[in-house]
Amino acid sequence: MVLEALEREGVELIFGYPGGANLPIYQHLPDHPKLKHILVRHEQGAAHMADGYARACGKPGVVFATSGPGALNLVTGLATAYMDSVPMIAITGQVASTQVGRDAFQETDVIGATSSVTKHSYLVTNINQLPRVIHEAFHIATTGRPGPVLIDICKDVQQADAPNVPPERLEIPGYKLNGHVNLDHAKAAAIALAEAERPVVLAGHGVLLSHAEAELREFAEKAAAPVGTTLLGIGAFPVNHPLSLHMTGFMGTGWNLKAVQNADVLMMVGMRVDDRVTAKLAGFAPNVKTFIHIDIDGSEMGKNVRPHIELVADAKLALKAMIPHLPEPEKSRGTWLAQIDAWREEHPLKYTHSNGHLQPQDVLIDMYKRCRNEAIVVADVGQNQIWAALWWNYDRPGLFLNSGGSGTMGFALPAAIGAKFARPELDVWCVAGEGGFVMTAQELSVAVEHQLDVKIVLLNNFSLGMVRQFQDDFYGGVRSQVDLTHMPDFVKLAEAYGLPALRVDKFADIGPAMDAAERTKGPFLIDFRIDPEANVYPIVPLGKTLNDFWEAPDQ
Amino acid sequence: MSKPAAIPVVPPHPTAPAAPAGSSSPRSGEDGVDRLRVLSLVVEDGPGTLSKVSGLIRRRGFHVRAISVGPSREPGLFRMTLTVDSGHAEVDQVRKQLERLVEVVEVEDLTGHDVHSRELVVARVAAADLSDLIERGAKVLHSSPTGTTVEFAGDGSEVGDFVEDLRRHGVQDVVRSGPVVMRRSA
Repeated sequence: MVLEALEREGVELIFGYPGGANLPIYQHLPDHPKLKHILVRHEQGAAHMADGYARACGKPGVVFATSGPGALNLVTGLATAYMDSVPMIAITGQVASTQVGRDAFQETDVIGATSSVTKHSYLVTNINQLPRVIHEAFHIATTGRPGPVLIDICKDVQQADAPNVPPERLEIPGYKLNGHVNLDHAKAAAIALAEAERPVVLAGHGVLLSHAEAELREFAEKAAAPVGTTLLGIGAFPVNHPLSLHMTGFMGTGWNLKAVQNADVLMMVGMRVDDRVTAKLAGFAPNVKTFIHIDIDGSEMGKNVRPHIELVADAKLALKAMIPHLPEPEKSRGTWLAQIDAWREEHPLKYTHSNGHLQPQDVLIDMYKRCRNEAIVVADVGQNQIWAALWWNYDRPGLFLNSGGSGTMGFALPAAIGAKFARPELDVWCVAGEGGFVMTAQELSVAVEHQLDVKIVLLNNFSLGMVRQFQDDFYGGVRSQVDLTHMPDFVKLAEAYGLPALRVDKFADIGPAMDAAERTKGPFLIDFRIDPEANVYPIVPLGKTLNDFWEAPDQ
Repeated sequence: MSKPAAIPVVPPHPTAPAAPAGSSSPRSGEDGVDRLRVLSLVVEDGPGTLSKVSGLIRRRGFHVRAISVGPSREPGLFRMTLTVDSGHAEVDQVRKQLERLVEVVEVEDLTGHDVHSRELVVARVAAADLSDLIERGAKVLHSSPTGTTVEFAGDGSEVGDFVEDLRRHGVQDVVRSGPVVMRRSA
């Protein structure tokens, strides 16, 4: 009955792993050829694949796992999706309802273990609940602020039979959607922004989730307001647009941080305003007279920054409502935009080209040339993530995926696999450090088994680079447990998994290796041995304000 | 390139966790009394509801000071009355976060409203002469040669005073409920 219900919800792909408590579902899987099942090598891989799938195509990713360890292995993946508001359905097997609470074999309180990392969860102990629960779960996962929903189904329920009739209409009294835009607030916000002397707009993941990029651009151009994005909002505004401030936050661009810190009106759209965006909260945007916050989740209002004007609404609807009320921008706007241009020239992104080592930026700049504005790039977590974000150069949205809120190492490879399943027509590049890569490297088997064109750009610096950088700069220069010289030979590792690979340690070899990756059908890995001392810049020292960012040292 | 526009100084800055409009000095109390919110919830009657509510409260850094739960007028729905310390969060976060739970159908913040707030205390005391307690409204539930069990209902301070008074009577055991709270009708 589970499988029929999934078909009814339009599911085509499931990432999963069978085990004792979900075998009744797997028994019937061959009877449902429309449901393609991808056998992962670890349940965490399944969760990240479903996550990457959902981020790439917008449909909820679906995961199967068995009880106990199987379900617990999903927890990191659920948390990753939850923090970044990604729609996902996790269906876990549970011991028989008569066994619950008796510490049966592979029994874990999965609802208890996952309730803090899911939008909602259900324990199904009776077959008659199942059609309603599955229908509700998809509704909750995909509407409002999306998120993962877990359905824990007792084994005896999986084996039971009952009329499989979904409810005719959804009745979830405790689930309310914030659909309506408060027009008074929208008008006030539009006027406040247009009449500001020094307005700044910051756009987060919510803009991408509501497909509000066109509205954001129209709004920004009409208001002559510069726009920055959060790490997860990358792609919400064209980076090459004259009004672009690129990425904000404690590793954001210098001209973005200058703009935020000097703004008099700051409008934050579809974002949580977390500590990585604000750095030291008390010193965040200290000159702002009017904070405007737009988010579909009302609990974000005042959670970190108390807005003067709040709009609890979908970003697209809110921006649409605001645009007609935008007056002519304030006359002094040209001065402000010229100032931002000056900051852009004063604080450009830069790196050391020529110290004899291969620089990660050299690799990424070459990769992005090949992306031609239309490949999906999935980054892992750490220095590789920020480098990939800062050197991003697209005008199109929705093609840069990473674990922003949760910062889950090991995300990139399985998420890239999921993204390739979702968008087989697009090239998919996976950018990872060697530390995160080995956390989920077993999923290479999946890429090989399905001959997925996922090109893996390993930025190998023989250490936990971001942690090493923090230790060097903020923890007394004590390098403690960050040395990763004892790692597999990644070319041989790739060969062992059955995919071709190359090693590159010279600038001149980047192009030929990338050519080979592009020419090759199926997965390909390049082990780029980069400068072990390469750092991420700009960076705001821990505990400091956005004003205090450090830039890359001059060559 | 022109100079940056003059930057006005605009204290106080609203980025620190702040009070909702209309409330004054929200976090002045050392004892945390100012952080207490009294919330009346309508929740789904299900085995997971209480753990979802309490888990959320813990996760967000709040703290339950009192709780009472019972069936509501509607079948399938329960009424939960919570007194919650909002911790370091903006006080209104307690309501907003609870509203996000699918099991929570309705949240009303009754803090500072005109309400009936009633608590129940049941106590066993050694003394035989309880006329003063009975005069205050206590009811004898059980008497035996070793002691007397009484109950008393009132608002929080009445129950607090009553419990204080019990000491003089050689109190052997006390159980006290969380408040149940209802808006006063106009």
